[in-house]
Amino acid sequence: MARPAVILVGADKGGVGKTTVARTLIDYFGAHQTPTRAFDTESPRGTLKRFHPDLTEVVDVTSVSDQMKIFDTLGSADAKVTVIDVRAGLLSSTLQALTDIGFLESAKKGQITFAVFHILGSSIASLQEIAETARVVGDANYFLVKNFINNTTFFEWDPATYNSYFRKIKGAEEITIPKLNEMAYEQVEVASVPFVSFIGNKAAKGEPANNSFVLRGYVRHWLGNVWGEFDRVKLVDLVSPKIESNVRQVAG
Amino acid sequence: MAFRSSITIVASPRPRVGKTLLARLLTDFHLHQGRQVAAFDLNVGERTLAQFLPEKTTTASIRDTSGQMALFDHLIAYEDITKVIDLGHESFESFFSVAHQIDFIEEACRRSIAVAILFTITPDHTSVDAYRGLRDRFGRATLAPVHNELLGPGQLRDKYPLATGGPGVVRMPALAPGLRRYIERPPFSFADLRAGEAATMSPDPQSELQRWIRRIFLEFRELDLQILLADLRSSIQFRSGT
Repeated sequence: MARPAVILVGADKGGVGKTTVARTLIDYFGAHQTPTRAFDTESPRGTLKRFHPDLTEVVDVTSVSDQMKIFDTLGSADAKVTVIDVRAGLLSSTLQALTDIGFLESAKKGQITFAVFHILGSSIASLQEIAETARVVGDANYFLVKNFINNTTFFEWDPATYNSYFRKIKGAEEITIPKLNEMAYEQVEVASVPFVSFIGNKAAKGEPANNSFVLRGYVRHWLGNVWGEFDRVKLVDLVSPKIESNVRQVAG
Repeated sequence: MAFRSSITIVASPRPRVGKTLLARLLTDFHLHQGRQVAAFDLNVGERTLAQFLPEKTTTASIRDTSGQMALFDHLIAYEDITKVIDLGHESFESFFSVAHQIDFIEEACRRSIAVAILFTITPDHTSVDAYRGLRDRFGRATLAPVHNELLGPGQLRDKYPLATGGPGVVRMPALAPGLRRYIERPPFSFADLRAGEAATMSPDPQSELQRWIRRIFLEFRELDLQILLADLRSSIQFRSGT
């Protein structure tokens, strides 16, 4: 059996677009026919659940019973990939909890594939955060995500400082989420559907929608670029090397 | 016909090369052929398409997203209306960059709408590069170079390579200087010379104007056939799965 994979999407501050990144990941794995489930830690509201109600469960990641719900089911769940959208401010403590329950240990032994998507904020505080998180994460596949989705004047950091932190994490990869046209972003928010449904002009239950062709085009172009970034870091290989090799055999 | 309707974009990155006149003639040509026509004007200022053909023309802008939605969503709507776009030189870059991003041509093809670009050729580098850019980015559209004879002799074959099997150069003959004043006061329709300024013309100039119009309409008819051919060819390729 293939190893289960856990992807933690988090940031130490709110409003940097964690949920957006989690949504693109769920769409990405969906497009690659990789069964995926998601946990939304923004209890009780759950933004992620609004977009992917069938795949998402709202949990409180600090409670032991919910930790059991997530991690004890890793081997038995149908989903190969588990995406966890970690609420603002909980990334460090979640990682600490994962150490405590021995999860990081099994990841190190290779029983579980573990990856962290760390969404960066625009302030300098984020840099200290990286150092802090890196200490806990160790060998996890660490992705630093620069999210430009709704902000163009973002990273005004001193590149030297940034790089000095960046190098502290061995094998960390950088992912850039490009800007999406504001009106297109808003319309997807209003529609409350996955990005792929919006592009395919479908409403929540799969019935035809009436989205603007221009906005769908913008979203398609943008999602293509985001997925291009995921392709570049070989995300599919990471979570399911087996499936990918089968696909290649069929194709070749 | 393989395609249900067509969109023709009259374009050039240069100002004052006769785009609006070409768009006027083309719109009137389609009207003359008995088609339903909607024209879109992306120009600002004096003597725009919207002023010459106010009943057929919608003023459009693609500076913001809502303007883009109004234009592009309308262009690919499921309706059997022939569409003509007079693209001002200021809108050239932004129009084609949005069109490229949202896969406009591909979507139009999916909806059986043939897209043609009429490109007024001039010897400058900007235009030559822009033409090449269009060829690279919009392979599925019919790209037709237009030689406006008023701009000088057309020795530009090597700068503007024609697509194999695509249309030749559309020739736009120069109108005799004495006749220009008759067609330059809006509103004006070439499709119906009995109305407007042309009605006051004496018989000789009027028949000369008519000869000029006929020559251009002949070029347009030829272009229409080329668009139809290109569309048939691509649908055959599509069906045989290549």
